[in-house]
Amino acid sequence: MNKTMKPYMMLMPATIILLGIFVVGLTMALVQSLGYFPAIGLQEFTLKYYREVLTDHRFLASLRFSIWIAFVSSGLSVIIGVLLAYSIMKSKQKKGLEEIVYKLPVIVPHAVAALLVYNVLGQSGLLPRVLYTLGIISEQSQFPALLFDRNGIGIILAYLWKGAPFIAMVVYTVLSNINDRLSEVALNLGANNKQVFWYVLLPLIMPSILSSFIIIFAFSFGAFEVPFLIGPTTPRALPVQAYVEYMNPDWGHRPYTMAINMILTFVSFGFIWLYHRTFKIITKYNGGA
Amino acid sequence: MKKKSNFFAIIMHITILLLIAPLLILVVWSFSRSWSWPYLLPQEFGLRGIMHVLHPSSRALKNLLFSIRLSMIVTIITLIISIPAAKALGVYNFKGKGFFKVLVLAPIIVPPVAVAMGIHLTFIRLGIANTFIGVVLVHLIPCLPYGIRILTNVFEIVGESMEQQAKVLGANPIQIFLHITLPLIAPGLISAGSLVFIVSFSQYFLTFLIGGGRIITFPMMMFPYIQSGDRMMASSYSLVFILATLVVLVIMEKAIKSYYGTKNYFYL
Repeated sequence: MNKTMKPYMMLMPATIILLGIFVVGLTMALVQSLGYFPAIGLQEFTLKYYREVLTDHRFLASLRFSIWIAFVSSGLSVIIGVLLAYSIMKSKQKKGLEEIVYKLPVIVPHAVAALLVYNVLGQSGLLPRVLYTLGIISEQSQFPALLFDRNGIGIILAYLWKGAPFIAMVVYTVLSNINDRLSEVALNLGANNKQVFWYVLLPLIMPSILSSFIIIFAFSFGAFEVPFLIGPTTPRALPVQAYVEYMNPDWGHRPYTMAINMILTFVSFGFIWLYHRTFKIITKYNGGA
Repeated sequence: MKKKSNFFAIIMHITILLLIAPLLILVVWSFSRSWSWPYLLPQEFGLRGIMHVLHPSSRALKNLLFSIRLSMIVTIITLIISIPAAKALGVYNFKGKGFFKVLVLAPIIVPPVAVAMGIHLTFIRLGIANTFIGVVLVHLIPCLPYGIRILTNVFEIVGESMEQQAKVLGANPIQIFLHITLPLIAPGLISAGSLVFIVSFSQYFLTFLIGGGRIITFPMMMFPYIQSGDRMMASSYSLVFILATLVVLVIMEKAIKSYYGTKNYFYL
């Protein structure tokens, strides 16, 4: 086999699948969103569907809602996940059950995470029952509606329950591979534990924190299940809104739906670009470490 | 010093408790018969929910096995495609490597909703919408990035030197692959396989849209119970789902390990 062709041959099967389904799928969505949809006789390219979508208040509310959910849930996941990983590493009598148990949420699907939040925090869930038994509330409705609410608290908590252990798992793996001597040298030179964390460990785990942040951010921004199950109907999360529009039996509505999908995609890419910029700045700041 | 490590131990235990407690509540729900407001424990325990899922006459068990088969097929195809791709990305330098790296990771970032709705009509025209093959194909999209990503990291560490030695010693490519490459990447295969299986097995939206209600997986049977807030049934389905996942992962790990005799790893 020709040496220079070898890597391309090895990448061929993956590329065929990804181009054939992923890229073709996105291209079809793009073309339809631009108003070219021969199946129903639309042949002219136009931006009017984007204009329509971008001036629709309901769409803008959905967009804001999805960005809010993604930011808060992934931000909190990172903070709690790093704290958890660091705590497991710090607590000396480790190697126990803790090291395995915290990974359980990773294998639980998001739909089940939504159920867990519903079981605990729904208005007939366990927490309101505890509060009722303690006499803090006197009826179900006094417990704040955390599910199906406009702030998306329930959705955020479901993502947090899935995201924090994921971050912890990634960070813990990196932390336990970092040579102990680095911390010891810093301690010897008079740094305190806090300084060791901020100036030695954090820069080293930063790349993996950022790349896993982007994974859970993109997921919570674009996933359908959780907001569909425990989210409000106004505003709907963007993927749910897209699905509702897609189910419209009038095919003339398709270009509009696809414009929503494409904006969803563009926004995701926008965030990735942003992430790469910050990543570059940070690595430059750390002297390319 | 002593106080500090206590502080972190407390944080660790509280966080883990908050992560695990909801799962315990789920278990209690699946074994309850009636548990109405405002009782803190079920008034009556029972097996109705679990029996409904496990009873041979319900379609649930058959469906569970079908889902496992589907996701195993997806996992195997993903691994077969990922191994050469990951080796190319992890070991070789070539023109356009950056492009392939982006292409391979892009499905993690782009919302699956957009891809699925975009490809749906094409699948219908090709006659693979509402079929097993169609669902397997569309599952590959969210699975491939994870398979390739993990195995690329493994190949970056493992390199190619061992394979070259074998080649110098006269091994043919098949021998090299079976006796050198596979054992070297076996730990990576376990973690990639586990993650890919989880991603495929918990897939709801892609199966739902491309399967068109013809291909019904276990998550699709579970979904309506969660949606309608039937805690007992939803919890029973979820419990069976989680246990089934664990069983498959343990078997997969054992199978790969016994074949290649790798050290003890607990990949999840």
